[in-house]
Amino acid sequence: MAAAAIIVNALGVVFLAHAVYSAYEHSLLPSSTATPPSGSALSRSLKPNVNLPIDITLETLFSALLLCVGVVLSSPGLKPIQWNVWAGRLEKSKEAREITEVGVGGGNPYAGLEERAGFLDIRGKRKEFADWIKKDARSEKS
Amino acid sequence: MSTTLLQPPTTASPRTTITLSQQATHFFAAQRTWLTTLPYPLNRLLPTESQEKWLAYENVFLACLRTGDNDAAYTALQALTARFGNDNERVMVLGGLYQEATASSQAELEEVMRSYDEILKEDPTVFALRKRRAALLKSVGKPTEAIGDLIKMLDASPTDAEAWAELADLYLGQGLYEQAVYCLEEVLLVMANAWNMHARLGEVLFLSAGKMEAGSGDKLKTLSESMRRFCRSIELCDDYLRGYYGLKITTDRLLEVLDGVKQKPQVASTSDPVTGDLAPPSLAAVKKLSQLATAKLAEIVRRGSAGEKGWDGYNEAELGAARELLDRDTQKIQR
Repeated sequence: MAAAAIIVNALGVVFLAHAVYSAYEHSLLPSSTATPPSGSALSRSLKPNVNLPIDITLETLFSALLLCVGVVLSSPGLKPIQWNVWAGRLEKSKEAREITEVGVGGGNPYAGLEERAGFLDIRGKRKEFADWIKKDARSEKS
Repeated sequence: MSTTLLQPPTTASPRTTITLSQQATHFFAAQRTWLTTLPYPLNRLLPTESQEKWLAYENVFLACLRTGDNDAAYTALQALTARFGNDNERVMVLGGLYQEATASSQAELEEVMRSYDEILKEDPTVFALRKRRAALLKSVGKPTEAIGDLIKMLDASPTDAEAWAELADLYLGQGLYEQAVYCLEEVLLVMANAWNMHARLGEVLFLSAGKMEAGSGDKLKTLSESMRRFCRSIELCDDYLRGYYGLKITTDRLLEVLDGVKQKPQVASTSDPVTGDLAPPSLAAVKKLSQLATAKLAEIVRRGSAGEKGWDGYNEAELGAARELLDRDTQKIQR
């Protein structure tokens, strides 16, 4: 999908550039302005009497369409905006829980209500850890 | 900076904690660059701090304390104290943690408790330290005193969900289910979307229903309340393994109880007019929920243990328990 989006975007840019350049070149042709407009320079600049060929117009529109499609295709996936979908993803996917920076990511935001870091029983944790080390050493020996 | 440094090590597995604490010396050395050794006006001009730095220090401190590496923990604590000062609440708590962890005798622990009391006498609004005091009381085996402490604290700050949750846990440890349920309901008043607390409340209600005598209306009421709590946790969180597990065991138990009730004629079909409680659910609804829970559990176990993309985050032990529950069910059917 990503490669297709890049190709569409590139094509759109090429077509747009080509259309713009063609329009510029066309405006330089002496025949492009059919009748020299009457009136002052101001009214001429306000009402430019340019008759672009239909193929340049169509190319511009086509390139704009291609770019629109390409930009939509190349945008990242949508984030869930429903609470249950968002919460479900935190529960079941490791990727969604990853901490990317301070305050971003990190799983269930309510997990603190069960872990309760403010009431950390450090002596119990130390004992638990020492037991784990002992068990680990024993299992390695046997 | 690696992300493991940003993960609080209090609940991490022992293996991740030990790697974190082994990195401590490297971490301190990496933090001491030439930038930080510049004289006063210059070091204020250059960026020597990041958002992550002090969080990482705290996590390293806790990890070292947990693994028993007191020297490294002390180094981290000193750095934190030098940065934030002795009278910072968070640093005070960390200092207290260090003293608690390194206390070797009962007398030393009492000394720590006295130092907490002294600080609290001067400034009773240091809630972090009041929590620490309650935790220490619980740790030395005085849960009733810890409960008293917490009740006093919650009188002053009734929106502290963490303290309510701790109080519920303490009550549960004492076997006081009704009080524990009340505290968990208070937690849900503050944080109504906490799906894990809904599941927790369902678990506590299920436990208390197990203690009630069979055939009583209370048991039916408590079980259906528990089932509804699990349903709410699932509503808040798609494919919540704990919620479906709870839903399965409560509906199975509820089916037994409803079968017993059905033989007797008196079944309350409408809601209780006095208390406004909901009527117990119908047999068909409970059966349907039980089937749904079984199907969902089977799906979660299958995809979770296969480690499918986007389904790899479940806890191994929880998956194993769910598998066991399903196996028990199929055995019953085979017999």
